[in-house]
Amino acid sequence: MKSKAMKTSAVLVAATMMMSAVLTGCGGSTSAPTTAPTTAPAAAPAAAAGDVSADVQKIMDAGVLKVGCKIDVPKFGLQNTGTGEMEGLEIDLAYHIAGEIFDCTAEEAKADKLVSFQGVTAKTRGPLVDNGEVDLVIATYTITPERKENWNFTTPYYTDAVGLLVLKESGITSIQDLNGKVIGVSQGSTSKEGFLAYCEENGFDVKPEFEEFDGYPSLAAALAAKNIDVFSVDRAILAGYNDDTTIILEDRFAEQEYGVVSKLDNKGLADLADGVVTGLKDSGKMDEMLKEWGIE
Amino acid sequence: MITDLFNVKRWEAFFKVLPGQYIPGFLMTLRVALAGLLLALVLGIIFGLFSTSKVKICKLLSRVYVEFFQNTPLVVQVFFYYACLPYVIGGRVPKFTLGVIGVGIYHGAYIAEVIRTGIEAVPRGQFEAAYSQGFNYLQTMRYIVLPQTIKIIMPSLANQALNLVKNTSVLAMVAGMDLMYYADSWGSDRGYFVQAYLPCALMYFLICFPLAKLARWLEVRAKQTPVPKKRKEVA
Repeated sequence: MKSKAMKTSAVLVAATMMMSAVLTGCGGSTSAPTTAPTTAPAAAPAAAAGDVSADVQKIMDAGVLKVGCKIDVPKFGLQNTGTGEMEGLEIDLAYHIAGEIFDCTAEEAKADKLVSFQGVTAKTRGPLVDNGEVDLVIATYTITPERKENWNFTTPYYTDAVGLLVLKESGITSIQDLNGKVIGVSQGSTSKEGFLAYCEENGFDVKPEFEEFDGYPSLAAALAAKNIDVFSVDRAILAGYNDDTTIILEDRFAEQEYGVVSKLDNKGLADLADGVVTGLKDSGKMDEMLKEWGIE
Repeated sequence: MITDLFNVKRWEAFFKVLPGQYIPGFLMTLRVALAGLLLALVLGIIFGLFSTSKVKICKLLSRVYVEFFQNTPLVVQVFFYYACLPYVIGGRVPKFTLGVIGVGIYHGAYIAEVIRTGIEAVPRGQFEAAYSQGFNYLQTMRYIVLPQTIKIIMPSLANQALNLVKNTSVLAMVAGMDLMYYADSWGSDRGYFVQAYLPCALMYFLICFPLAKLARWLEVRAKQTPVPKKRKEVA
């Protein structure tokens, strides 16, 4: 029911966007005739260049960039429950990429609603980008060698580490207290491998059990019911679930890099997105964006 | 999809995780299904007998049990056991127990109904004849009614067993370490969904297909062997 409604509204949004794109145009609109976009990435605008790849052209024709994002990760991708709008670093990044595709600034892309967002989870994001439901996934997606065989990743835009969230009353204070405990991790995430590697490197003799859950809310519920002792995912995500009954342990492991993901066949789009990320990093704009969202 | 299906590299990856994940998952599913079926049969027989007995309170108990568990989704029930039982009993529920309780109680309600209808299908005359020979209630049930009931209900009982096996997959949603859990886990980890779910389906099929065959065979046999028919009242 809900997903059907979402689909319908997505179609409506897409249709409206197509119309507005046709009516106003984007880059060539009269509203911004003055200068080149202030936040323009280093790479030349794809739309201006003649050699637009087929996959990018398809998005230009559609008039909207479909992006899969997190809707429950504060500072990265969070749906504002008041307005229904998406907010966060990854959302801004999506607008920058849209700006590149449609040859306008990120602000214009946002104002003209050139990006349609769809909430994804660790499990759904892969299939959604594969079946074309979304063009890009910008959803705290960790780059791994195995995943690189299946999807295109851009240069990392952020480096995070995995953290451990425990209940205060459990008395757990460090990773060495976790022998025999149950650690809940998210399906399709790299937390488990990271934990084991970290223990091996540091010589910790800790042998916990791992249980995988589909989605962070079920992990939070499992922790609250004490079905698991530890909730272990990326620290950026954990921050959204930390409250006065829980603490995030100081241990951090499995430094991991987030990249923008596209379907393996869509090389043109991957290059374009990579250009945007590199451009933002080189120009120092990425640091500004991180500061703006209060991300260390 | 089709190219994924014949991707040799992905199948190799699957066979690598087969012994470590799929086989333990398969065994867990099998164990939960067997123990769950046992619990369901016990509950089904008790409440099935209750609902055909003349004792009001037994009848009422049976109705409440059957109606409640038949008319609420299994997923809700299992989530309830998983998330709420720890608060009640003050400890974790082992995944095996969770699965057995989940499918056992749920299918117990269905089996109770199957048994009730089976008993009611045995003509009243059989009871009366037994009582007139001096059998008490339990003896009547044990020697006269239930043997006839079993023949009638076997096909639908086998069907319940079939559904019970498939319904154990609900455990995957609460990290139940069963077959579906491992398939889902590996699938979403690597993104090889065809290789993750197809063998998983095949392994459920391995358990269910013989059961389905059994159900069909029992059905055919039930039609062939005579069951007592209601006699015409003789004036």
